[in-house]
Amino acid sequence: MSETVLEVRHLSKSFLNSGGKETNEVLNDLSLTVEKNEFLCILGPSGCGKTTMLRCVAGFETYEGEILTEHGVTHGPGTDRIMVFQDFNQLFPWKTVEKNIQYALKLQGIRDKAVLKKKSDEALHKVKLDGYQNYYPYQLSGGMKQRVAIAKAFALKPGIILMDEPFAALDAMTRNRLQRKLLELHSQEGCTILFITHNILEAIALGTRVIVLQNGGRIVVDERNPIPRPVTPDSPGYGAFWTKLHDALYVE
Amino acid sequence: MEEKKDRRRALITKIVFIIAMLVLWEILAKAHIFGKRSELVFPPLEAIGAAFVKNFSTGFAGTSLWLYILNSMLLLLEGLVIGIVIAFIFSGLSMVSKTIDTIFNLCVSIFDLLPGVALLPVVIVIFGVKPGVIVFLVVHAVLWPMARNVLDGFKSVPEIYVESGRNLGMNSVQMLTGIYVPASATYIISGLKVGWARAWRGLLSAEMIFGIASMPGIGMYINQMRTNMKNAEMYATLIVIIIIGLVVQYGILEPIERATVKKWGLMK
Ligand SMILES: Nc1ncnc2c1ncn2[C@@H]1O[C@H](COP(=O)(O)OP(=O)(O)OP(=O)(O)O)[C@@H](O)[C@H]1O
Ligand SMILES: [Mg+2]
Repeated sequence: MSETVLEVRHLSKSFLNSGGKETNEVLNDLSLTVEKNEFLCILGPSGCGKTTMLRCVAGFETYEGEILTEHGVTHGPGTDRIMVFQDFNQLFPWKTVEKNIQYALKLQGIRDKAVLKKKSDEALHKVKLDGYQNYYPYQLSGGMKQRVAIAKAFALKPGIILMDEPFAALDAMTRNRLQRKLLELHSQEGCTILFITHNILEAIALGTRVIVLQNGGRIVVDERNPIPRPVTPDSPGYGAFWTKLHDALYVE
Repeated sequence: MEEKKDRRRALITKIVFIIAMLVLWEILAKAHIFGKRSELVFPPLEAIGAAFVKNFSTGFAGTSLWLYILNSMLLLLEGLVIGIVIAFIFSGLSMVSKTIDTIFNLCVSIFDLLPGVALLPVVIVIFGVKPGVIVFLVVHAVLWPMARNVLDGFKSVPEIYVESGRNLGMNSVQMLTGIYVPASATYIISGLKVGWARAWRGLLSAEMIFGIASMPGIGMYINQMRTNMKNAEMYATLIVIIIIGLVVQYGILEPIERATVKKWGLMK
């Protein structure tokens, strides 16, 4: 009934230490399967390898093991897996907001100017940035830049969107707004999201499934989110789920 | 508001200073402090003004200064284009091949230390006294500083742009023109500025050391004025050189800066 869109098989990743000789094993034999339309939130203590795992999936790193999407084994980056970075400065500063989106679409082979304009306008409308088409990234706030990055990712209609703490550096109010926006986009657009966060509340509010990693990329919790959307602290089961994630996170 | 006031005050200061210098010049000219040589060292302003007009109307030996300027500019442009293209090609190749990178960096470090004029004797033996010599010197003047800047610029492109580009499936040519070049625009423009300044100075020196009869330039014109004791004309030509410098600075380089790095917020 459900369809697998991402399969991570026995993923191991080591970095050379600064000496250049010894290696530092960050991920050790991590396996994970993600179903279509899942919103997978990834929790874990700092340094446990969350970013490394996501970067392997994106194809930015070399690794041992295999990563498969709907199109088979992946080799390097691809537009079927679009990354939204934590860094606000991920848009090209030399292009306006709409040109950033259109450029990405053009690379996918869309040539018609009117089509590009329509698509970028729609994408910006979805994140409530109508009217900012001709702004340059430096003229936007951090939250607005992240919205453009998200709009761009959705406009590309990738099978999978990879997000590495995209809201971590935002104030609580903006983060809340963007979380709601992201939930809305996820239910409307039908796509699979892998979302790293430090924040248990964020994981519960967003994820349809939550995993907790510990050092070495060991998956210590892998649970379907039992709480129906929209999640509020009063939702039945909230406290129990929170406690479970919290205990797994702060075990050591 | 404050800023505007400051800028106005600076402008007034500049204008007053320039007028004061001109008045001083005129007083020295009229005072004949150098006796007989005064006419040569301090020709009066009105003589320089008249010479300025004459340079363009009658010029020297029936050839207007316009033609000399045109010749210099053609050689300069040719050299600049060749130098910049070579700088980009090798900087691009250096990003792909470690060997080319090492060799090219070594070349840049060595040849950047050689003033073009010092190469003149060798270059003349190779080319003869031909316009090619000037072009060669301009290429030499612009290539190394430009390459140094482009190399540094390419290497300092933030990894996140490169990864975004790879994520979007860009190939190496698209990465070069779509990411590396715009992302290092600040470096490229400063390379252009240094390259232009060196090329312009190098061109004038070379033209003054030996004129190329088939393509006489501004440097040669100054030299002809000197040998003919036409010092008012010579000063007028110096003013032309300053004007050309200003035109390039405010008519070309600054607009490029405003249309790129300033517009993109990469530079204030
Ligand atoms: N490029 C690299 N070179 C060497 N070591 C690295 C590199 N990137 C990450 N590491 C190491 O890998 C480990 C995991 O890093 P990673 O960034 O994946 O952690 P994380 O779970 O994302 O942490 P955080 O929550 O703080 O972002 C760390 O010990 C880090 O030092
Ligand atoms: Mg991280």
